[in-house]
Amino acid sequence: MTAVAMTTGYLRLELRRLRRDRGYLIGSVIMPLVMYLLFTNLGSLTGEQKGVAATYSMISMAAFGAIGAVLNNGGQIVEERTSGWLRQLRTTPMPPLRVVAVRAASGMLVALPAIVAVCLAGVLVNGVSLDASQWVRILILLWLGVIPFALLGLAIGHIATARTLPVMNMLSYLGLAILGGLWIPLDVFPAPLRAIGRLMPTHGYGDLSWRIAFGQSMSVGDIAVLGAWLVVFGALAAFAYRRAGRTT
Amino acid sequence: MAETTIAAVFSGVVKTFGAVRAVDGLDLTITAGETVALLGPNGAGKSTSIGMLLGLFPPDDGRITLFGTDVPTAVRQGRVGAMLQEAKLPTNTRVGELVDFVRAVYPDPLPRADVLATAGLTDLADRPVDRLSGGQAQRVRFALAFAGGPDLLVLDEPTAALDVEARREFWAAMRSYADRGHTVLFSTHYLEEADDNADHVVVIDGGRLRAYGTPEEIKQTVAGRTVAIDLDGRGAAGLETLPGVVAVTVRGDRAWLRSKDADATVVALVRERGGVTNLEVAGAGLEEAFLALTETPDLEGSPA
Repeated sequence: MTAVAMTTGYLRLELRRLRRDRGYLIGSVIMPLVMYLLFTNLGSLTGEQKGVAATYSMISMAAFGAIGAVLNNGGQIVEERTSGWLRQLRTTPMPPLRVVAVRAASGMLVALPAIVAVCLAGVLVNGVSLDASQWVRILILLWLGVIPFALLGLAIGHIATARTLPVMNMLSYLGLAILGGLWIPLDVFPAPLRAIGRLMPTHGYGDLSWRIAFGQSMSVGDIAVLGAWLVVFGALAAFAYRRAGRTT
Repeated sequence: MAETTIAAVFSGVVKTFGAVRAVDGLDLTITAGETVALLGPNGAGKSTSIGMLLGLFPPDDGRITLFGTDVPTAVRQGRVGAMLQEAKLPTNTRVGELVDFVRAVYPDPLPRADVLATAGLTDLADRPVDRLSGGQAQRVRFALAFAGGPDLLVLDEPTAALDVEARREFWAAMRSYADRGHTVLFSTHYLEEADDNADHVVVIDGGRLRAYGTPEEIKQTVAGRTVAIDLDGRGAAGLETLPGVVAVTVRGDRAWLRSKDADATVVALVRERGGVTNLEVAGAGLEEAFLALTETPDLEGSPA
């Protein structure tokens, strides 16, 4: 009972804080939404091409927003490490690993608005039409597929300082998004870059949903790539957490 | 409340950081229900001792028990609440939300209205924390330390950054909490705060216990009086050899002589210096006791 009250109490506090965080709202919800509407309504796209682009970049931008949300969430740890708030939490009955678990959970929850907002814009503005089973699978994969990035966010949060955080977050965010084909499809990349792009977690993440949207079969390669990055980022987060624990 | 009357025990506690022995064999017992001041100059080992008491890091040697159990267990049970030095409140929160959060985390918290009223925050419950004054923020941190209803409340230099008025308000809030029978340990280097607010004073320096007693008892460990004079730009050379003088403290152009025989000291002063300016002779206060206790290499076991 106490453990539940403890966890929900902390989660409620964290979600309230994120709701008031303008950087989160602008960077993770409004920016992907605006980029989506801009990319798909430039006028150079017409007819069938436009429909394909509307569906394709709906998934790209939903993924982009979700990744932004979980990285932003992880970045908050930096501030709390330096301000002494995490040390304060260690004097309470809440176990340190619970603090991290709640942070991971809040990250997963704040990834949802970006996904929902961009998909809604796809349907309402761009007339994207998928059947119910496609929607369910895409929404679930977009949501659960962000877990490796949430772990990356926790890792950065425990490694970065206030000074290095913006650079580390921006490099991982834009670097992974662009290389993995979330901004421009990998098909238009030169061959060597395309090969690298396919190994990016962002590509595995997006491709799982792109394949569902365009009626292709699931790719084992995508799952392997995303699974491998899940292990890498998970190990990095665990290492960073232990390292930070020695100095906090 | 259980029969337990001992809140915390330090036995032979040692903590080193690199080459520095921050805490060097500290023995200390804190009785439940008391307000205890931990007094010592900067670098005396106050914050390190408090950090270990709260389980932020373990001692290298020795043992700390809290309410008869080990520190991590006591922390898990919600028996301690802390106000740490220089810990900022988390951004994008409101006062009442933070209080609610702490109350959700502890097994047996105090009522919300009670917490807000005791800390003088009733009207500030909906205020975002980034719109609080320094004194208000400090009272919020105090509220968070005791909102969980801990058996031991630990305050590490709670008034270090506050102005006089904010300090006064802070101690009023602290006393209204302590007066209800709670155990409070606070560290400070403001002597009058220890004198005004503590039942017992613990003086530590060099990571060891120098003295323990009521403020009155601590004052009595120093015999004699203090003779203060202006130096009139003539320096303090020779003052320490005057009759009765046991210690000399110089700050700016003024000197304080601790003397076993103030009459003889004053007579000699006048003779040697051909007169004195702004002479003041005072009985030993807590400040003099503190200086004596922390300047002398080791006064443990000296007669009280």
